[in-house]
Amino acid sequence: MTSSPIRAAPVRLEDVTKLFSKEVVAVDQVDLTVEPGTLVTLLGPSGCGKTTTLRMIAGLERATSGRIFIDDEEVTRLPANLRDVTMVFQSYALFPHMNVFENVAYGLQVARQPKEAIRSQTLEALAMVGLEGLENRATNALSGGQQQRVALARALVMQPKVLLFDEPLSNLDAKLRKRVREDIRDLQKRLGITSVYVTHDQEEALAISDEIVVMNLGRIVQRGTPHELYSRPATRFVADFIGSASFLAGHYDGKAVTIGGFSFPHQQETPAGEVTVMIRPEAIRLSTDRAGLETTVRSSSYLGAVTDFVFSSPHGDIAATIPGEGLTPLLRDDTAYLTFRSAGIHLLPANDRHKNPDS
Amino acid sequence: MATAHAVSTRRDLRFSGAWIPALIAGIAFLALPFGRPDRAFFTLDPAFRPWALGSLWVWLVLAFALLALIASLLPLRVTARGELLTVAGGLGLLSGVSWLMGTGTPFGMGALLSLIALVVVTGYGLSESGRIQSDAFVASSILFVSLFIILFILFPLFIVLRTAVFVDGSFTLNKVWSTLNSPLFIFAENPYTEQSELALMSRFAVIGTVLGALWALSRRLKFARFALTCGVAAAVGFFIGFMIYGRGALPTSLLVATIVATVSTLTGLVFALLGQRTRFGFVQRSLGAISLLPIITPPFILAFALIFMFGRRGIVTYQLFDISSNAIFGIVGVSLAQILAFTPIAYLVIRGSVASLDPALEEASQTLGADRWTLFRTVTWPLLRPGLANAFLLTVIESFADFGNPLILGGDRGYLATEVFSAFAARFDPNEAAVYGSVLLSMVLVIFFAQRWWLGRSSFVTVTGKPSSGSFAHLPRVMEGLLLSVFALWTLLVLMLYFSILYGSFVQLWGINNTLTLKNYRDFMTIGWPVFLYTARVAAVSAIPAAFLGFLIAYLVVRQRFFGRSFVEFGSMLSFATPGTVMGVAYILAFNVGPWLLTASSVIIAIAFVFRNMPVAIRGGVAGLAQIDPSLEEASTTLRASSSVTLRRILVPLLIIPLIGGLIFAFVRAMTAISQVIFLVSPGNMLATVLLLGWVEQGQLGRAAAMGSILIVSMLTVILLLMLLTRRRDAGVVGVGA
Repeated sequence: MTSSPIRAAPVRLEDVTKLFSKEVVAVDQVDLTVEPGTLVTLLGPSGCGKTTTLRMIAGLERATSGRIFIDDEEVTRLPANLRDVTMVFQSYALFPHMNVFENVAYGLQVARQPKEAIRSQTLEALAMVGLEGLENRATNALSGGQQQRVALARALVMQPKVLLFDEPLSNLDAKLRKRVREDIRDLQKRLGITSVYVTHDQEEALAISDEIVVMNLGRIVQRGTPHELYSRPATRFVADFIGSASFLAGHYDGKAVTIGGFSFPHQQETPAGEVTVMIRPEAIRLSTDRAGLETTVRSSSYLGAVTDFVFSSPHGDIAATIPGEGLTPLLRDDTAYLTFRSAGIHLLPANDRHKNPDS
Repeated sequence: MATAHAVSTRRDLRFSGAWIPALIAGIAFLALPFGRPDRAFFTLDPAFRPWALGSLWVWLVLAFALLALIASLLPLRVTARGELLTVAGGLGLLSGVSWLMGTGTPFGMGALLSLIALVVVTGYGLSESGRIQSDAFVASSILFVSLFIILFILFPLFIVLRTAVFVDGSFTLNKVWSTLNSPLFIFAENPYTEQSELALMSRFAVIGTVLGALWALSRRLKFARFALTCGVAAAVGFFIGFMIYGRGALPTSLLVATIVATVSTLTGLVFALLGQRTRFGFVQRSLGAISLLPIITPPFILAFALIFMFGRRGIVTYQLFDISSNAIFGIVGVSLAQILAFTPIAYLVIRGSVASLDPALEEASQTLGADRWTLFRTVTWPLLRPGLANAFLLTVIESFADFGNPLILGGDRGYLATEVFSAFAARFDPNEAAVYGSVLLSMVLVIFFAQRWWLGRSSFVTVTGKPSSGSFAHLPRVMEGLLLSVFALWTLLVLMLYFSILYGSFVQLWGINNTLTLKNYRDFMTIGWPVFLYTARVAAVSAIPAAFLGFLIAYLVVRQRFFGRSFVEFGSMLSFATPGTVMGVAYILAFNVGPWLLTASSVIIAIAFVFRNMPVAIRGGVAGLAQIDPSLEEASTTLRASSSVTLRRILVPLLIIPLIGGLIFAFVRAMTAISQVIFLVSPGNMLATVLLLGWVEQGQLGRAAAMGSILIVSMLTVILLLMLLTRRRDAGVVGVGA
């Protein structure tokens, strides 16, 4: 397939809404563009509408209103089997009565491709996912990781304009998950295939995506590159969902942030005034002198390379990840003075009280 | 890769696949006669070609077919074309049907083909317009299934109701009134007896009142509830008296149903308890065989065997005790035959609820110090009650609907199901038959839907209890002995009856000349064998559409969301619940004249079989689909497979066992059916069960026994083959669809 690259196609959703009943709004006026050849992840807690959005792109659900375009062609009401889209399912969905080869060849057979072409393309797809030589195996004789690779090969062999992933790794154990996701990313980049990837695992999303779309309650909350979302979350929900963070009430005067009596310089394009300060755990340093935010140690867990602390202050609790053990071993109820690196600080509007429903 | 070309689907959208059915509709319209003279299905009579019909209206069919053809080839927007196709197909269909109904001309091959093709066109339209969110195959299937349900279930039943109140073309309630007042229906006070039946019934009411009052006193009820209890008890007492002393079909059917349901439910409970808690393994194994009996046996065969055993020349009555009595003819005989026939059904239902009992519950209660009787009263009984109620109501329905047993053993009393037939076939009064049919139908449907409403969905789907973990305490020895003797008695009786059929087929003249002979089989070979073969052929041919239609309905109902899904569910349930005699009279009334003329042919018999046995396949399909992860179908869909391909390549292979099961059960049920098809047979289209029944009535018992034996043995063989097949296949497909 390397000799005939897939023509990458954009996906566009315009004002798409899906109602499951009059009361249940699964997806609420979503606008979304997936640039050709990129991998975009829909990330959010369960019930946020990410899977429904994916299934509407696949054609397995029909949008109640709005329009969906694939390759600049409207497909809103086009049945799933007429769309150039394939999907990798959470449950693998391998056909139990077919062996590996038959599973991968299925789509080509349905399309009545010549027998020789089916054979060579199928074997090539299997080689691509690293399953050469297993084509005659029964699918239930494969490990979970291998099964998901078969599912991937089955989707790739169709050379779809868009490849969809519905939480493809959630049935794998942690170690395998990491490897398969790297392989998926690798293949996707190599083939330059437009992909939409649904997950509720933020680490997976950060590792794999060109762009992440965070959804909650059927709406898109924020979209951006992994780095943008991590360093500049738009809301407390996003900040909380991607990575972890502490939130303290503070004041911003355009140059510096003040929490309690402690000020530190910070530059951000946000109006001066009361703000909520988001602090990433790794942005926290222990001050050697007394210059810093005064807190007391509430708990600490030594994790080898780092130590996780929770400090309490009158402005709220602060979670911190500190390399090594710090300069002096800190015990419960010790006083600690914290300073913050600007890179892990982000200011949010003061009234953003939105909570992560998962927390 | 060398031959790489993306699997494109775009070209599929430039024109619509609807051009094929549209073209077929047009060609069929032009090339074949639209109507037909009377029963000549395959006529090419030019007088029935469209241009000879002298009607412009009928040409609308062609006009709309052409419109659909043009629309499907024009490069329109997909949705716009879909709307156009929907309108063209729908209106074409409507004009064809309205012409047929308006003129009353029986449909010809041209009409059949072109209207079917127009349904497919409409299916394409509904799919492409997005009104049905699936492809043309599913959309067409939904249309076909709905039309089938309307034409072959709702329409005939509607005709029954209409015939009850339309006599000679005008509305009247006279027929209803006269039928319901006739002594054949209700006969409370019999002037030819010395006693006054009404007085006797009142006496029952008095007894009821007294018993009710005593019960109410023991419960210390307040005055209002006291009075209510007494009132209800009086009514129940009168009702019991009415059933016993009343004559006519209504009280008789009610009495028989009450007796049969009570005894069958209790016996079924005995079997279920034994099956779960007996110390004897062989009892458990033979219960499996018992549950097979009603499937392989024509429903009235036991009635026939009862005559052998207890009739005027019965082995037991005449040869053992030297009694020549007609006592078996009447309520006793019918009840006995029905109890033997329906106990296995009650057992299957109760087994489900017994299986759902949790041994832990009983153990828990025992650790709390409950003795066995307390345990049964406070834990087991309340848990069993819904299952028992379910079995009771199902047996009541079966008893009402049963036709063969009362026909053979009914004696001098009438029954609702047989009166439908007698009114139609003996008194030649279709309106009266329709009144009886309406009464029977409404009684059965009220019970059926009340039962569904009370007991929920699980009730009529065969209950498959989860295998209970842990083991149950054995029954107390005394109780087990008691239950085992009931079981032994029942089994002995059934074995004796089956044996008597077999034995009876080998004797010269039952009870009079008991020398062994093969004469009956020789007679059977000359007269019965062709009929048997014909029956097997029609049953086999109808089993295929029955199984596939049932599966298709199961697929549509379980996996697709569409407007009218509950209508499809309701319609198929209706065909399941309607008594055979009612459906029989409905078919003969609906399809004997007019555009849907189908009677006196194998076609009407096959159609009757299809819609009668389809619910069995639906149940199998629903249960099978529940085992299959829907994402398998979605995966197939995203790999460009249409739903027909998905059905063929994914679902059918995965569900092959239940599909074959549905096929076999449809076949066996068709072979043993009687109540509906007895209305539909005609001289050239005789069926084995009908012939068998006729022989019994004529007293040709030897021949009848030969036919019965052959039916039972061949059905048993078929079922055993199926069991062998599923067992072997099950081992190979473990984990399928997990």
